[in-house]
Amino acid sequence: MASDRSGAAVEPAVAGEAPATVARVRPSPWPEVPRPVRVARIVIGVVLAVAALYAPLYFEPDVNRLLSQAIYIAIAAMGLNLLTGFNGQVSIGHGAFFGVGAFTSAILIVDHGWTFEATIPVSAALTGVLGLLVGIPALRVRGLYLALVTLGLAVLFPRITQKYVDGTGGVPLLRPSRREFASLIEGLDDDQWAYYLCLAIMALLFVLAWNLVRGRVGRAMIAVRDQELAATTVGVNLAATKVGTFAVSAAYAGVAGSLSVMVDKLADGTNPILYFQRSIEFLVAMVIGGTATILGPAVGALVLVLLRRNTQDLIEGKEILAPALFGAALIVIVFVLPEGLVGGVRRLLLRLGQRTSARGRAPTAP
Amino acid sequence: MQLFLSQVINGVGNGVVFATVALALVLIFRTTRVLNFAQGEMALFSAYISWKLTTFDLPVWVAIGISMAIAFVAGAVIERTLIRPMEGHSPLNVVIITLGLFLGLNALVQLIFGTDPQSMPSPFPKGSVSFIADTRVQKVTIGLMVVLLVECAALWLLLNRTTLGLKLRAVASNPDSARLHGIRAGSMLMFGWAISAAIGALAGSLVASERAALDASLMQVVLVYALAAAALGGFDSIWGAVVSGLVVGVADALTIQYVDALDGIEVVLPLGLILVVLVVMPNGLFGKRTVERV
Amino acid sequence: MLRSRKARIGASLLTLALLASACSSRDDDDAATGDEGSGGEDTESLIPTDHCATDPTEEIEGDVIKLVSSYPQSGQYAAYSEIARGWMAYFDKVNDEGGVQIGDRTFTIEYETADDQYNAAETAANIDRLVGPDGDGAFAVFSVVGTANNVAIRDTLHELCVPNLFAATGSPQWGNPDYPWMIGSTLTPYTIEAAAFAELLQEIKPDAKVAMLRQDDDFGDAYEAGFKMAIEGTDIELVEVQEYSPGTDPTPQVTSLANSGADAFLNGAALLPCPQALTAKEEAGWEAITWVSGTCLSKTLMGIAGEAGADAYGASNLKDPLNPDWDDDPAMQEYLETVQTYQPDGFDPENAVVGYGYTQAAIFIEALEQAEAPTRLAVMEAMYDLEVSDVGLLLPGVTIRTSPDDKFMGETVQLAQYEWTGPDARNHFVPQGDLIDYEGRTAEVTPEELINS
Repeated sequence: MASDRSGAAVEPAVAGEAPATVARVRPSPWPEVPRPVRVARIVIGVVLAVAALYAPLYFEPDVNRLLSQAIYIAIAAMGLNLLTGFNGQVSIGHGAFFGVGAFTSAILIVDHGWTFEATIPVSAALTGVLGLLVGIPALRVRGLYLALVTLGLAVLFPRITQKYVDGTGGVPLLRPSRREFASLIEGLDDDQWAYYLCLAIMALLFVLAWNLVRGRVGRAMIAVRDQELAATTVGVNLAATKVGTFAVSAAYAGVAGSLSVMVDKLADGTNPILYFQRSIEFLVAMVIGGTATILGPAVGALVLVLLRRNTQDLIEGKEILAPALFGAALIVIVFVLPEGLVGGVRRLLLRLGQRTSARGRAPTAP
Repeated sequence: MQLFLSQVINGVGNGVVFATVALALVLIFRTTRVLNFAQGEMALFSAYISWKLTTFDLPVWVAIGISMAIAFVAGAVIERTLIRPMEGHSPLNVVIITLGLFLGLNALVQLIFGTDPQSMPSPFPKGSVSFIADTRVQKVTIGLMVVLLVECAALWLLLNRTTLGLKLRAVASNPDSARLHGIRAGSMLMFGWAISAAIGALAGSLVASERAALDASLMQVVLVYALAAAALGGFDSIWGAVVSGLVVGVADALTIQYVDALDGIEVVLPLGLILVVLVVMPNGLFGKRTVERV
Repeated sequence: MLRSRKARIGASLLTLALLASACSSRDDDDAATGDEGSGGEDTESLIPTDHCATDPTEEIEGDVIKLVSSYPQSGQYAAYSEIARGWMAYFDKVNDEGGVQIGDRTFTIEYETADDQYNAAETAANIDRLVGPDGDGAFAVFSVVGTANNVAIRDTLHELCVPNLFAATGSPQWGNPDYPWMIGSTLTPYTIEAAAFAELLQEIKPDAKVAMLRQDDDFGDAYEAGFKMAIEGTDIELVEVQEYSPGTDPTPQVTSLANSGADAFLNGAALLPCPQALTAKEEAGWEAITWVSGTCLSKTLMGIAGEAGADAYGASNLKDPLNPDWDDDPAMQEYLETVQTYQPDGFDPENAVVGYGYTQAAIFIEALEQAEAPTRLAVMEAMYDLEVSDVGLLLPGVTIRTSPDDKFMGETVQLAQYEWTGPDARNHFVPQGDLIDYEGRTAEVTPEELINS
């Protein structure tokens, strides 16, 4: 018997006639999901959720801090994903928005006595507005050039803090006291509380992103990414979409920055390439997790953080090699999984799903 | 007046450095459509090789020449093994790979050559010559300018007046279409990277000798300015890169001298410059206007 | 083929492995964490202990003194890791020779370090992890590099009353009385350097016009404020100040300074920009009495400046391995031998930075031996009561003195001038005149807000 690409059997009804099944074209951009795959996804989802919830109770504060870092990087990477993955505007400047968010929170806490939690919305609003302001001239600037201009922002930001922020010890470093971040729930240690707060905010923001992307706005964003001119001909407001996405994406980075103040207990402007490195972190997390996927940024951020930690002390006496090992690992990951981890896993599940599904279904587009 | 001229000359001195690196960036973009973040570190590695060769008592130009040859081969190898497999996938993947290279090369340099700054001998005579209004120009600056102009002319001729150059540009513009014409796209891409790496090696070695010192952080600040210069000039133009490099250098020096408010954040200038120019001229000062087809 | 399914599964498993490797159970530590009472017995100590979250009078159990440190081991500033080579070698030797004696007990010194790539947030994380939330991960923190990096950890360590010793920068704020558990090192405070230059000028050119190049951060602030304070009431005038950002070429700034009509130049640049500034000065044809920052007194940096650095002044309190006068000095030979024996991998004997680290360790051992008991409080008290000379590579006649009112160590300096005799010669700084003694005077020459920041 002949078999189609998925390996399922195809019976020609009668010799000479076309096979019984016909390739079906689905209008939705999402591939059809076979039932076994759906089940697999739910199971995986539940397992991950349980793991995520239980983790901080099991691990040491040191590891929790690492996981919380992964979470705020994931949030910023998600923001970048909205802008770059779903809307096609490449930015290497999200580190700057992150920094603005961090310093906003830190300044409000240290100089004005705000409570930490209250600073988060302010941070989001401020960076959102900033994103708007950057997004407008970005309309005129394309691809590569946009990337470079945004790079400039990330390089500029620490210098600005150097000049205008009056930190402790004469350096642009703000260190809110630990007490500011004390747990608000009895029985939870500070580091566990920080983790859960970050997790909750990440969940919220990810669900928001998921809704955004699945709806009309999301389709507009994707249309602008794929074929800008065609999108305008079907009535998509180019400027509004692009600038709006910029603003939202910047706000995500800003929230991530605020959370970083809680997790790292400081806002640091002393390192001139720090925010550039952050921009790169978000980009890397997004790509190795899976661009234009929802879970991608989270997975990518986790892998990034763990990879960095584990390459640090790998070779005794040759600590200087740590960044090289990290770089090599990145290259390997991108090679083996060019669609990112989520993209790769998704493909895997689909292949498996097609193998086990009942009728010979049409092969879905890879 | 004399001070102004002096600062302009300083600016040109720095600008030539930015221009040499920008040239390598533009070249690789023109031939392969890739923005190579690792360009600076590749240049750094080559600069260290040049330096190491001079410690074996080789004359500077010979050392640089050998380093360029090594870089040529290395560039081709990198393209074939690391970049080519990413064809057809998201261009962001290539960005990640160049970032990985960036980190790897920087760490390797420190491991192999040590972390202490080294002194790089200069291929140009020391000292300065008199210029107008009592100012002096460094012989090194003049030398660099000459090298730059020769490079530009050679590259321009290569790209615009030879069959090889035509093939390179065809592949960069549309690899599939070029293949249909019988052009071996793969070889062209490798060649593009090879040449850019060699130019980068020259740039790195010259930067090291101009700065008189070589250490792992040499190219990092230069890279930002070089990227700004390349963007300013429009990534498509060889001459654009050079002119923009000079513009960025001079603007930077003049800002340092005359605009005290920007003390410490002079870097805002080249970045602001790109932004302003790009908003007005989205293809850079010298870029070609692209026509978009639906 | 790399893209096979196996490779993909492998990659996913790798991720899980990464996660697993980072874990260690939370409960493992609970047993070790004893119930620490807050505050200690308030011994009539000058060091406040009421706020301590741990008990600083608790004696060390066992026979190990554990030190931890965080400094750049990779990345742009990896060169600073050479400092650790010096102190590690010294401690290794002490251990080999039987350990250090406090009272009637003997201890060996154990150390653990982490890489922070000069990133203040990383330093904070590293120290938090190494010291532990209850402070029982280490006895003390030793030789953390970077002003911002030390600032990032001082609050936590203050709360835990864990000593932070030999902070490796010359920032005057290590004298801040609000942080008594923290103390700097023999690095001369930047304000004293500025004062020394002012004094030199008073002697050789009392009506000098000075131009200053400084970094655009707290390091530069200290030079500028200190110098301004030192020239008050004199005929010396500061005519122009130019800032530069770390890593950039300061030539345009120096050109501007050269055109200011100044005849003296305070080169407050650190690392590569220092020789670059010297070269720029020479190329501008600018004749000026030049002072180079203590951070520039290295063979490689001055070597890069070459002839452009000739006749520049600097100050230091350590013997320079480059100076042939010390070749036969027993202390210098011992230093070279120790490092060659215990930390030889990649050691450059002419790198003065290693000697600095070595000397800090030597002073610490003295403090330990002087301590009345093997407790954090006693050791800290000993650090406030130092009178040490002729250890490590300290210059003869230099005494490191601290007291409850003065916790600055590097207050005696030797003025020196760079002698350049040729491109292949062993160019070095030649001491000039007697030691300049600023003992107890850092507070005098430093604006208060810099110390108390």
